[in-house]
Amino acid sequence: MKILKLTSLFIFIFTLTQAQTKISGILKSTKGVPIANGNISIKNTYDGTSTDSIGRFSFSTTETGLKILQFSALNFETDSVTVELNQTSLTFDLRIKPSINLLETVSISAGYFIAGDGKKGAVLSALDVATTAGSNADVFAAQQTLPGAQTSFSESGLFVRGGSASETKTYFDGMLLKSPFNATVPDQASRGRLSAFLFKGTSFSAGGYSAQYGQALSSALILESTDLPEKTTTGISVLNVGAGVDQNIRFKNSALTIGGAYYNLGPTYHLIKQQNSYVKAPEQLSGSIQYKHKTSATGMFKFYATYGKTDLALYQDNIDEPALPKYFSNNNSNSYINSTYKEYLNSKWKLDIGFSYNRDKDEGLLSQDNYTRKDNLTQGKVTLTNYFGQLSNFKFGAETFKTGRTESLNGQERGYNDQISSGFAETDLFLTDKLVFRLGARTEYSSYLKKYNLAPRTSVGLKTGINSQVSFAYGRFYQNPEDEYLIIKRLDFEIADHYILKYEVNTPNRNFRIEGYYKDYNHLTKENLGNPDNSGTGYAQGFELFWRDKKTIKNGDYYISYSFLDTKRNFRDFPALATPSFAAKHTASMVYKQFIEKIQTQVGATYTFASGRPYVNPSNPVYLADRTKCYNILSLTVSHLTHIFKQFTVLYLNANNVTGFNNVYGYQYSSNGLNRRAILPSSKRNLVAGILMTIGDSTFVR
Amino acid sequence: MKNLTKSLTLILLVFSLNSFAQTSNEKFQTGIKKGLEMLNTAQLSNDFLKMSNYFERIAQAETKEWLPPYYAAYGNLLAGLMIDDKALQDQYFDKALTEIDQANLLSAENSEIYALKGYIQFMKMSVDPQARLSYMGASATSLGKAKILNPDNPRIYLINGQNTFYTPEAFGGGKIKAKPILENAVAKFTIFKPASENAPMWGAARAKALLAQCN
Repeated sequence: MKILKLTSLFIFIFTLTQAQTKISGILKSTKGVPIANGNISIKNTYDGTSTDSIGRFSFSTTETGLKILQFSALNFETDSVTVELNQTSLTFDLRIKPSINLLETVSISAGYFIAGDGKKGAVLSALDVATTAGSNADVFAAQQTLPGAQTSFSESGLFVRGGSASETKTYFDGMLLKSPFNATVPDQASRGRLSAFLFKGTSFSAGGYSAQYGQALSSALILESTDLPEKTTTGISVLNVGAGVDQNIRFKNSALTIGGAYYNLGPTYHLIKQQNSYVKAPEQLSGSIQYKHKTSATGMFKFYATYGKTDLALYQDNIDEPALPKYFSNNNSNSYINSTYKEYLNSKWKLDIGFSYNRDKDEGLLSQDNYTRKDNLTQGKVTLTNYFGQLSNFKFGAETFKTGRTESLNGQERGYNDQISSGFAETDLFLTDKLVFRLGARTEYSSYLKKYNLAPRTSVGLKTGINSQVSFAYGRFYQNPEDEYLIIKRLDFEIADHYILKYEVNTPNRNFRIEGYYKDYNHLTKENLGNPDNSGTGYAQGFELFWRDKKTIKNGDYYISYSFLDTKRNFRDFPALATPSFAAKHTASMVYKQFIEKIQTQVGATYTFASGRPYVNPSNPVYLADRTKCYNILSLTVSHLTHIFKQFTVLYLNANNVTGFNNVYGYQYSSNGLNRRAILPSSKRNLVAGILMTIGDSTFVR
Repeated sequence: MKNLTKSLTLILLVFSLNSFAQTSNEKFQTGIKKGLEMLNTAQLSNDFLKMSNYFERIAQAETKEWLPPYYAAYGNLLAGLMIDDKALQDQYFDKALTEIDQANLLSAENSEIYALKGYIQFMKMSVDPQARLSYMGASATSLGKAKILNPDNPRIYLINGQNTFYTPEAFGGGKIKAKPILENAVAKFTIFKPASENAPMWGAARAKALLAQCN
């Protein structure tokens, strides 16, 4: 009895004072660095503790037997060991692997300028484009402040690293955009049709870009549209050049945006003297509709359609007969539809489907001749991406587009159509998080040229430090000759081979890059007095520097870019190898932005310099040997944040060429070579002022 | 007699085993309570990290409870608020977002979760406002959801008032705009009754302090 009582008492006491195991030790990274604030625990229990400032930990547990000891820490991979809790104290020396920090991973970057919120090396967001003085919120104008792109004012487009405007193509969500620019006036650059605010990301590639993109010899401007707007808002813009309205309607998982704009440059042209005498200043009416639908947690369907009409008529100086200026008119209509669908089929596979349609029609009078020109493009594209490893991926896809042009002069018509089909495959192989190889190939078939091509594209990235990386790219690029030559004759693909080497350092607030390149051109189109062929060649080489600092000056942000370009080519109507008129040897830009909190105003300034451009002087036996004087321009912009009728409003003012430099783009000589007229900007100075209001939100939303 | 001794022994044994073993719910409530004590005594960033880790441990053991990941998120948020290193702040806030989303999966349509998420999203934006304006809208959306789910939750008004207080006037914020929201928060805190002793009830002192700065 006594023994029984004693035994029970003993068991009673024993169960109250359970055996405890003391677990202690140290947590270190695989490199031996002690980890503070790591989390050590016994799986499926509450037992555990945090590591101290030198990685040590110590705690007690009443668990017994085989258990799993888990350990984790910020920026490290969670790991565990199986332990046998059968002693009073156990010590562990735990090692933990660092997890992949995407901000410190190497990336494919040779030739690229990535932009967009939060992306590494980001340069231009929609807001950046809008606040860059001189750009007037035009994506293409803003890109010209970056290295690689020449300043262009007498011809629309981006002239990149010695390439002509047709060598740069624009892609909207992966789909080729055939007519990205507004209706053109001869000898004048016009702005892009698409608002910068449609896009969340702009990636400007000056060469060496992915096999997904084709038909561009020099560069690709890759625009990525925004996702669902957060709320229902109304945007109203009233400018001296016109007005626009955007209505965003947000539903549960989708959004509809309807917009309209009307521009009339008449009143502005009355106030600011223009080079051309306008009979009808440009007048544009356009409307757009966008629909975005989040089909699942990872899927998105987008639809965008826009239609615009532009009319203008003017008299241009006639160098041969100054008393008889040349009449030019253009009634332009443009339609564009872009629809994409993306979805992750599972955690390893992603599907992207796209469709686009673009039709651009010009018609009017050229002196006394009636002309029309219709450009069209219909495109379909499918891409599948497979993700493997922790960072690598493999993508492949196919696209086809029907492109063509029909033109007529005084009723006589000619045209052509081409069905270009292509397939591409590319892999980004991350051997480690510091070394990546991109290997890809693209093949195209043009039904009109009746030719195939196969283009390799490769790129390498190697991290040299936490924030620095070296990149190299080689790629071959094919492009059909321009419509104006294809309409005469079936030609062959034009070819460019790019070799690019780049070194960059990127920290959250500062970016530095230096990039060198060599481009070898072959099969360029030569006019040959009306019998075009592909006997043209050329080369382009140079280097570029870029420095951006968002930190040093409080609320200030500036960047400096410099491009050196040495290029010669023999193409179009050139009699010999020469530097083309769109290539300046030195181009430099300085862009500065400052937010002044006290007066809620953002001010910006842009100064651009370019060395003289070549022009044709008939009395010079050497072709394109003459140079214009240097180009200088200083532009200023002011954006003041306020509230009008209690709604968030931005008062905007942009002035180009504030100091009134007299810039000359080139010279046009009379047929007898005795007289010349300077090709000047459309107006010496330019001013845009406006009120931009957002109803329904307290930020600038479009 | 033998039988009595046997039953006594048995009862004693059962009693001793029982007094040691709590019910799993008691264990959970005690665990949360202990964590909340850590929260109340925490002063430095590291203290909040330790508290967050503590709740993370409970979260991995109690996979159906939303309070552990909720408080783990709150701990990481507070740890981030106390330091200057922007890059590290960003990492703490990212971890907090992951944890609050975990809590959301375990308790959908929960006003407290949406309110805390709105707080974390606003702080994510404040790390780099120029590049992250989109988080401002996301924060407002979360707080809006929280309000629909429980308009009496005082933390919604505290967080909204706080966000407004720190938003520049030009963007619709400032002290004047924040004052009525904070007054509402203080009033709601006075009459607030938490669902349980472990349910979120923080913020009353902060609301009063911030309101005082509006005058």
